[in-house]
Amino acid sequence: MVEEISLKEIQRKVYMTFFEDGLWDIFLGLFILGWGLSILTEAVYLPGVFFTGIYFTIWGIKKWLTYPRIGYARFSATSRRRITARFIILGVVVMLVGVMVAVMWGIGKRPQWLADYFPLIFNGMLAAIVCLVAYWARVNRFYLHAALIFLGAVFHMWLGVRWEFGFIGAGSIIVLIGVGILVIFLRKYPKMVEEAQNSDRQ
Amino acid sequence: MIDSSGEVQESFTKIDKLIHEPSRYMLMAYLYVVEVADFLFLLRQTGMTWGNLSAHLSKLEAAGYVVIEKEFVGKKPHTTVRLTDQGRNAFEEYRGNMKRVLDNLPV
Repeated sequence: MVEEISLKEIQRKVYMTFFEDGLWDIFLGLFILGWGLSILTEAVYLPGVFFTGIYFTIWGIKKWLTYPRIGYARFSATSRRRITARFIILGVVVMLVGVMVAVMWGIGKRPQWLADYFPLIFNGMLAAIVCLVAYWARVNRFYLHAALIFLGAVFHMWLGVRWEFGFIGAGSIIVLIGVGILVIFLRKYPKMVEEAQNSDRQ
Repeated sequence: MIDSSGEVQESFTKIDKLIHEPSRYMLMAYLYVVEVADFLFLLRQTGMTWGNLSAHLSKLEAAGYVVIEKEFVGKKPHTTVRLTDQGRNAFEEYRGNMKRVLDNLPV
């Protein structure tokens, strides 16, 4: 029995329920889409607006759509601390790299290779972050999302596709994948009401 | 000093029969990895029926291994379950005993 039911496997299953509804795919897709639109329209605030706006909307939708279907579980304090620490470290690293690039750009001392390969490096960093999320949460389809994001820069560098269209294309595909997963989720899990069935406990 | 077979026997007798039941072990395992879970979450994860889940949780609650809290969210009832410290310790002890038993079995 101990060997049959591994705690790690159970923990993995619990983590995966967090991504089962496809809402985080939609969040990522819209964020990437927002990035493309911000480059296209030169509205630099768009990614920030998309990120915060969609993030809180997703939580609201989860409460209304997901929890009545598959229930809710809160990770243990240790797990929550570990997840928070990982994202803080990730955020700090990204911020430091961003500041470094901005400073080099600002003082006109950017190396030529950075200017030449900037889209590849930028998309590569975004893809690496998505890969880390895929690895930590063990949700394999996020590797595909990372590949799509990176491909946007590859198409730009070697096929001449405009950089922003790479973001818009990748974001749209990721949103579609998320919507597909959401539809499957909604069909698989009808809403359940605790009331009648659980009345025998009262 | 207890020999290997004595150790196995001792570990066998220490095995918590309440947790040993597969459905309850599964419930304890889920509650061990999360801080709190609601009734629906446990239902979906374990694949049990409402009545079955309810009955097993009642037994665990009676033993002091879990705390069941009922509240209303709007007009709908919402039941949350969490492992008590006693339940957490019992689960760890059970796993330790099972491991000892299995490790000492002849291959």
